[in-house]
Amino acid sequence: MRDSKSSLLLLVSLILFLMSFIILCTWGYNVYYKGKEDKRKTAIAIDDSATISKATKAIANATRDSLQKVYAATVKQLDSKLDSTWNYADSLKGPLDVKLNEFFKLRNEISTILKDKTSNANLGIARQKINELQKKVEELVGRNKDVEQENKRLYAMLKQLSANTNSKEPDQQNIRPVVFENKPAAESTANSNTSNTSGLFIASELRLAALTETDNKEIETSQAMQTDKLVGSFTVKNDNSQNNNAEVMIVVLQPDGKVLQKSSWESGTFSTHEGKKIYSCKMRFDYNKGEVKRLNFSLSGDKYMKGNYVMQVYHNGLLIGKLSKTLS
Amino acid sequence: MFKVFEKHLFLLGCVCVFVTPISFAQNNLKLKYKKSDVYAGIEVGSKGVKMSLVEISKDGQKNLDFNILKDTSVNTDFISFTQLTFQATLASLTGLYTAALKDYKIAPGKVFTVVSSGVKVQAEKFEKNSWIKNLVDSFKVKIKDPSRQVEVIDVSQEARLSHLGIVPASRRYNTFLIDIGSGNTKGGYFPNGNATDFKLFQLSWGTKSVANATEKRLEDDKTMSNFNKQLYRVLAGSANDEIIYAVNLSGAYNMSDNIAFSGGIAWSIATLINPELIDNPVVPVTYDEVENFYDRIYRNYKSLSGEEIVKTLTDQTLNKTAISKEVKTVNQVFDQQSLLAGTALLLKIMRQFEGIYEKKQFYLVKNGQVGWVSAYVDQTISNQSVAK
Repeated sequence: MRDSKSSLLLLVSLILFLMSFIILCTWGYNVYYKGKEDKRKTAIAIDDSATISKATKAIANATRDSLQKVYAATVKQLDSKLDSTWNYADSLKGPLDVKLNEFFKLRNEISTILKDKTSNANLGIARQKINELQKKVEELVGRNKDVEQENKRLYAMLKQLSANTNSKEPDQQNIRPVVFENKPAAESTANSNTSNTSGLFIASELRLAALTETDNKEIETSQAMQTDKLVGSFTVKNDNSQNNNAEVMIVVLQPDGKVLQKSSWESGTFSTHEGKKIYSCKMRFDYNKGEVKRLNFSLSGDKYMKGNYVMQVYHNGLLIGKLSKTLS
Repeated sequence: MFKVFEKHLFLLGCVCVFVTPISFAQNNLKLKYKKSDVYAGIEVGSKGVKMSLVEISKDGQKNLDFNILKDTSVNTDFISFTQLTFQATLASLTGLYTAALKDYKIAPGKVFTVVSSGVKVQAEKFEKNSWIKNLVDSFKVKIKDPSRQVEVIDVSQEARLSHLGIVPASRRYNTFLIDIGSGNTKGGYFPNGNATDFKLFQLSWGTKSVANATEKRLEDDKTMSNFNKQLYRVLAGSANDEIIYAVNLSGAYNMSDNIAFSGGIAWSIATLINPELIDNPVVPVTYDEVENFYDRIYRNYKSLSGEEIVKTLTDQTLNKTAISKEVKTVNQVFDQQSLLAGTALLLKIMRQFEGIYEKKQFYLVKNGQVGWVSAYVDQTISNQSVAK
């Protein structure tokens, strides 16, 4: 009896061992063959990718070559088009344009000679051409001065004419001294200009500055992080004002395009030709005809973003001045 | 070892499950100021119980700078003075108080509970003052805090606090604030250059009372054309006399540069006239703008739907979804007739300040409902610090 029990136990144990062995073998087989399969697949994949990359490179090279050809042809075509446009340009600008053309041509010739380091014999020619170039520059500067003087003379003439007509022709009142804004970039305020729209007021000398407050002192900054407030100012003038009270709207656009508002009590909306706009603040002031009035405003925000801030001045829904300021 | 770990894991899970909603509720409050405290003002009003979570800037010592974090209300109609509305009001008051404490984790000392002037006026009118006392006592029992203060505010106090809460200090002494309610209009200004003397202004007309009076005149002709005609008659009659008399009596014309209007109708007109300024709590308007808006409600009401208003917006930086949603809310609160009635009443009052030579600047205040609660909170804190 006891023998039969122990033999039964032995049999069960054997079966269990056998089953374990079979399971282990199956697992081992799977692991071995799966690994082999993976290796094969990777090899195929590597082969494939090498083939694809080779093919891609070949296509890219071919494309690059063809693109270079297209580029060269386009540049050539563009040059010829530009030249033809240049030649058929406004006859009034003709002489100045010819001079500019000569200047650019000469400049290119000099740069080609200077680039060629193999021969020293060309240096003499280069020196000669540089002298010629300097002469051309002097001529152009002289020409620019003449144009400015002519502009001033024309403006004085227009002013006299508009004074003579004395508000009989309202459209004539809107003639703007845009010619005066034709200053060299260094002299004019950063990016400022006076719009030639038909508002009655003329805005000029626009200024926008970022200030930081330290020890109860306000110091100008160009850093967005340090900015506590933006202050702006501009001059308005109106030779034909009929009212003693005037109103201008200031719009300061932030780098994200949203309007920087002074406060909800001081900001609102107004109508323009482009539709309704939000203004940062509104400035009401007493005005006497012909008076040159300097107006100041300040805007405080919680945070200032890095980027370009655009200040716009509107009168009667028309843009009369614009300026931009960058904070880094 | 495993059992200890399991136990810790289980406890951590439980903590996460219970703490997350509370943290989420707190995180939901988007604070505006760098240094600020959050307060809750719970007000029992005529229509229901309202809770406002207000962030008050710590830097705003002289100028009360506040930011509304949350505005919740439960309509209970307490002034009906029935057992049902009493129980509903008590349950709402207790519920909102508990939410302020538990969900938003505001200390009891920073939760203010008041009964508005509207309830007080109605209770006095119908000799139901005991109902207010019962409500306050029951509330104290429910929250198990017998020392809790529930102040009953009067009209003058509420109007003064609204002015202090809404109008910035820089404009305090030249601004006349008028709150157009549903049943009446109240407001005032500070005539003597100090925040103590307050000149109260009151009218027995509000948006709803004007609309109701007009409706009574309609008889069988319920058309919009007839409503417009009858509305003109209502406002040209006894309402006109009362408005002219009240404005003249206030002396506000000579003393104020700015006329600010608050109340539901001010919010709705501000939203519909200037949807571009959706984030601004105050919107400047002109008499002509409101007059044109009245014409638009009457002749082209369809143009005031969310979809139509969004179509007119040209500024690409505007949140058109939020604007459309807010406009829809306005349209749900005010129908064409109520909007006409409220705008007509507003125009009637504005007309008294629209001089030929001297122009006043008009403003529409959107968040007027929390103005006085904010000022009440500010005043109580100031009194507490003085007492210390």
